[in-house]
Amino acid sequence: MRSLIRCIAVLMVGLMATPAFADLKVATSLSDLASVAQFVGGKHVKAESLCKGYEDPHFVPAKPSLMKVIQQADVFISVGLELDSGWLPLVLPGSRNPKIQPGQPGFVDASEGVPVLEKPTGTVSRAEGDIHPLGNPHYYCDPKNLEVVADHLADVFSKLDPANAADYAANAKAFDERMETSLAGWLKQMEPFKGAPIVTYHKNFIYFLTRFGFKEFEHVEPKPGIPPSPRHIAELADAMKQANCKVVVYQPYYDADASNKVASKAGATALELPTEVGGVPEAKDVFSKFDFMISSLAQALSK
Amino acid sequence: MKPRVLIAVFVSLACIPALSPAQTRSMFSNLANPSIGLNALVSAQAAPNLNQPYGINFDDAEMSLISVVDPTWTLVSNIVFAGTGEVDPEEVWVRTNSIPNISLKLGKIRGMFGKQGMLHTHAYPFIQAPVIMANTIGEEGFKDSGLEAAWLTPVPWYMELTGGVYKAVDATDENPLDFGSNNHNNIPYGGHLKNQFDLNESTTMEFGVSGLQGRGADGHRHGAIGADLTFRNVPLRRSNQRGWILSGEYLERNSSVGGTYHRQAHGGFASFQYRLSQVWWTGVQVEKALDSYTDVLVDPATGDPIAGNVKRASANIKWAPTEFSYIRLEYSYAQADDGNGFKPHDQRIMAQASYTIGYHPAHAY
Repeated sequence: MRSLIRCIAVLMVGLMATPAFADLKVATSLSDLASVAQFVGGKHVKAESLCKGYEDPHFVPAKPSLMKVIQQADVFISVGLELDSGWLPLVLPGSRNPKIQPGQPGFVDASEGVPVLEKPTGTVSRAEGDIHPLGNPHYYCDPKNLEVVADHLADVFSKLDPANAADYAANAKAFDERMETSLAGWLKQMEPFKGAPIVTYHKNFIYFLTRFGFKEFEHVEPKPGIPPSPRHIAELADAMKQANCKVVVYQPYYDADASNKVASKAGATALELPTEVGGVPEAKDVFSKFDFMISSLAQALSK
Repeated sequence: MKPRVLIAVFVSLACIPALSPAQTRSMFSNLANPSIGLNALVSAQAAPNLNQPYGINFDDAEMSLISVVDPTWTLVSNIVFAGTGEVDPEEVWVRTNSIPNISLKLGKIRGMFGKQGMLHTHAYPFIQAPVIMANTIGEEGFKDSGLEAAWLTPVPWYMELTGGVYKAVDATDENPLDFGSNNHNNIPYGGHLKNQFDLNESTTMEFGVSGLQGRGADGHRHGAIGADLTFRNVPLRRSNQRGWILSGEYLERNSSVGGTYHRQAHGGFASFQYRLSQVWWTGVQVEKALDSYTDVLVDPATGDPIAGNVKRASANIKWAPTEFSYIRLEYSYAQADDGNGFKPHDQRIMAQASYTIGYHPAHAY
């Protein structure tokens, strides 16, 4: 009997010694959103992304285990603009978590309030490839847009957890201030290269290129989602030579071979550039992601 | 005409209210219309050993309509326009996610049974449905009116337990299960247990068991059982370019007469699919079906199908330029045995094309 009491006592002490649970359990469909949510939520939030930073956010396998991850979540943050529409319609209902279904306070569309680029103005047709009818959803590649997301999340967290509203507001303000300071530094670093033409594998750098004053020259994909043919690669390389375009950028989840071929034929540099947190080990959060992107690009353009 | 009359006509016309401008805007909003999609399947087949014509066949067109009904319900429908001209409301059901950990489905549903039985035909890994599937739960899975509750259990891994009750229906060519008893106590029911484990970040293992039971028109118990095991690899850094699926399934149709268990059609199939690149897939499949009917084993005199044992091997290659279309080429070799010395064999070459427009819901993992 004594040993049983001892066991129970040890178990109780063990349970008491475990760290306190966060006030809000937050899940996101993109690692950048988890990073911003963690900055804004601070100690009151535990944020987790379903999509890894080195995973193509267009094609996340809708594993049942992802449903399990968000079964007990208090908040789900979607990228919005249909970036996650290929898998979220399976994963969200599959979680059987009423709190985070669209329309509920625990569901957040992070694109709300963000100035969206490349909204189709005419007819939307898949003849143009796998385009996004609501506009380009890769807004998280512009640091300023993450300030909009941070302010939005502070509002959401405050409504769901009013007791810590002051902390969320203060954290969002601190995030915005740090982002403004960082952005000033990044703009200064990019100043010498302003106007440089850059080729991207997919149409997901436009927010980044626009913010830092680059020219989006062309894409390795002839149309979004369509792999390049040898002819397209050759024509693109010729056009790059004529325009003195020196850099091809691609994300870690795209085919490096095609970008390398284009760069090699054009006498340019192919650069693997993560647009999502966790895309490379150095991109640990949204700030270090932009640090890495800016320094890598500056190095490539200096060649 | 007298001037008084003319004046009266003018005055009358002047008193008519101004005609409203032509109606250019509808009073009916279309903003809450459902998401609409359509998939069309076309195929061709050449089977020299069979008494069937060569040629191109329009298989079917599946129209899906999906929308939120209100804060509680979502309606999902899949209406099939078959090549024969028939229209089949294959799936029309509502779902609610308002209950924590439980999902409810009500309507004409694709009952939770097996792995391949949950897929639409254009998502099948091979053009031909497995022989044993057609002889147990139906070539396109178990489809019936009913109510299902799926509970996501609180264990650390993904474990889903589904229970359902269905409408009593007779056996047909499309539904081999005889649940046709008119007795009031005949409410066919079923259960499904699905487990999924992440072996690592790229590879998963899925294991499931299924069962269905009801009373047939003959008054006896009829049912089906199944087990499935799938390993799937999707490298996260190349999720749209590489991967493979290794899958196997066992299915059995049975009955119970006077307390004696009778195993009827039974067998299994195993397949391996490999993704060569963003646009190319290839795969092989082997099957064995016992006490089963196919178009390979028919009475030479009457042309009627005969029950027997069938082995079949298939191989295919698929070109999918986008997720909205594909063309695939398939070869299969089958050997049948009626148990009385009649052992026909069949080899056939098939091609199939699939096209999807509009919204198409993601396929189950």
